[in-house]
Amino acid sequence: MAADVHKKKSWEVPNGSLAPGDGQHTERSESPTPGLAQGTEPGAGQEGAMFVHTRSYEDLTSPEDGAAAARSPEERRGEPAEQSSMEQISKDFSELSTQLTGMALDLDEEMRAGKEGKLEPSPQTARRDSVLSGKEEEDVTMDAWRSHRKHVFVLSEAGKPVYSRYGSEEALSSTMGVMMALVSFLEAEKNAIRSIHADGYKVVFVRRSPLVLVAVARTRQSEQEIAHELLYIYYQILSLLTWTQLNHIFQQKQNYDLRRLLAGSERITDNLLDLMAHDPSFLMGAVRCLPLAASVRDAVSSSLQQAKAKSLVFSILLSGNQLVSLVRKKDQFLHPIDLHLLFNLISSSSSFREGEAWTPICLPKFNSSGFFHAHISYLEQEMDLCLLLVSTDREDFFTVSDCKRRFQERLRRRGVQHALHEALRTPFYSVAQVGIPDLRHFIYKSKSSGLFTSPEIEAPYVQEEEKERLLGLYQYLHSRAHNSSRPLKNIYFTGPRENLLAWVTNAFELYVCYSPLGTKAGAINAVNKLMKWIRKEEDRLFILTPQTY
Amino acid sequence: MLVGDSGVGKTCLLVRFKDGAFLAGSFISTVGIDFRNKVLTVDGVKVKLQIWDTAGQERFRSVTHAYYRDAHALLLLYDVTNKASFDNIQAWLTEIHEYAQQDVVLMLLGNKVDSAQDRVVKREDGEKLAKEYGVPFMETSAKSGLNVELAFTAIAKELKHRSMKLPNEPKFKLHDYVKKEVRGSGCCRS
Repeated sequence: MAADVHKKKSWEVPNGSLAPGDGQHTERSESPTPGLAQGTEPGAGQEGAMFVHTRSYEDLTSPEDGAAAARSPEERRGEPAEQSSMEQISKDFSELSTQLTGMALDLDEEMRAGKEGKLEPSPQTARRDSVLSGKEEEDVTMDAWRSHRKHVFVLSEAGKPVYSRYGSEEALSSTMGVMMALVSFLEAEKNAIRSIHADGYKVVFVRRSPLVLVAVARTRQSEQEIAHELLYIYYQILSLLTWTQLNHIFQQKQNYDLRRLLAGSERITDNLLDLMAHDPSFLMGAVRCLPLAASVRDAVSSSLQQAKAKSLVFSILLSGNQLVSLVRKKDQFLHPIDLHLLFNLISSSSSFREGEAWTPICLPKFNSSGFFHAHISYLEQEMDLCLLLVSTDREDFFTVSDCKRRFQERLRRRGVQHALHEALRTPFYSVAQVGIPDLRHFIYKSKSSGLFTSPEIEAPYVQEEEKERLLGLYQYLHSRAHNSSRPLKNIYFTGPRENLLAWVTNAFELYVCYSPLGTKAGAINAVNKLMKWIRKEEDRLFILTPQTY
Repeated sequence: MLVGDSGVGKTCLLVRFKDGAFLAGSFISTVGIDFRNKVLTVDGVKVKLQIWDTAGQERFRSVTHAYYRDAHALLLLYDVTNKASFDNIQAWLTEIHEYAQQDVVLMLLGNKVDSAQDRVVKREDGEKLAKEYGVPFMETSAKSGLNVELAFTAIAKELKHRSMKLPNEPKFKLHDYVKKEVRGSGCCRS
């Protein structure tokens, strides 16, 4: 088998060996079945997870959040909307030529439309050149502005613009006023607007008092997924301000211009939106690890673990948007969403490249009412390896900075720097390593560890548009699998340019992309082979032994 | 420690001093505080400057406040092409008096003097304000490098004199040194 030849596990620690007959791991079956229990699937941590246990995508999107979630007006008043007003509303909706249900159907149609090969070219994304004087932005009256595939707007309940992905907020204040009018119109009737579907557009509303988030999208995503992205934007704003501060401000002054406090953060939000269009991490609600020999990763983790300080809660080493190692305080768990926000913060600014940054950051899923303080620095300038030390103490910069020094010293002493350098040279593996000819790409998520693995996207998905199209297909499968009214466990999708398979169980999620020439039987055979390969490689592709201080 | 409104050029000034380069291109706001080191040789003595570049935005105020009191010197910047940043200097000074050490070395810098056409704050205005508060003043340009080295060297000299405290050495006069060494932005100024 090609894959066998490819990998010489000379570094393999006995503990991580998965050879059959290894008494320690008999419960970790080699080829997982749908009945496989959570925690025994490939990639499941051996000593508990690093993250908050997020069983499923629904966990992330459901309006839990305790205090942080604003209740919809209905819930707040604790009574269902009256029948008559419901009728009125549905009448209004039909007048607006909208529809409230049948999302899955409507997606199907869109997919079919997509099959005919018409793909809107992604419009040129006009970037903000300057966020300060930067209102030399797009003219919102132009067609170019209208043709963007996904607009995102954030406004306050007073209808004041807070953020717009494209174009200046000032120029859009009347548009945002209309959005707020729509929201309040339905709320006056004790109902809530969730989306408008018209003319190929989905207008999705997410209400998180004191903010309203709106997306206007022409993408093939489901309403649920667009709402999920809007929630990310909401969490992004919380990460800068905390929920407590955000609420306090608007309690004091309803028509506060929040842009004042968010100044300079537009780039971070822009970047998050771009990242969500490219990186499956957000769709999967999971974190991808840098492929790394287990022995090297263990050495890095224990070096991190030893360089601790009293106020440290999380020590995170990352490369690109992949996790290298994460060490946490006992009993403190990070949520994948919080980690995604940290990844986004780091990737959105080049200002961390030099020096050591020290910044307040709220991890909204961990605690939306307070700030942590993050020490952010790159280990070496030419190396894409960023260290993030999350502390509880604002005044602890020098202590935490010393932790970094100690960590680097230990890395040197253990002599793993070379191996790390090597691993960074190939941050993605090729799908050819699996040795399945028809296999083009896959995403595998271990639910219990909150980690996923995925090879590099290769030909024929070379161009940016093609990559986005592939992610779009995964999004489609994901939305079908997680449709709240009709969830699916197995999906086989035949398209003109590729075949896809999705398999969702209690323990894992698998999305596979095959060449269009293969058969369904072949695809199912390949899944078994692929799962065996992932099992064999799991200690390289996942973090199986997460550390605590 | 570099302080002042967002976008006045604190990071650019630091990068010009540290690496001798100008950060051209788009504006990237600093996140929180950025700590960097630079070793200078002042009168034959090596002085290690630990420079804290702060974010000018309002939401980072509480972090900057926490680090004021550890600062030995403050470079307070405004942008000569941005009136608001100059008007805010008073507020910054109030903050400095509240949080920083009594004897902190303070210097006022009017940055971006290379953009002569866009200038809205006259050099005299800066001088007048500096005189009022008794702080040394100079105009700088991170783009052209004008007075950048001088600003940091003057601070380093002052700090060195303070920490060495040689009895037979005459007291270093920051004001006079700055006055003597400063260069104007135009060709006709001395």
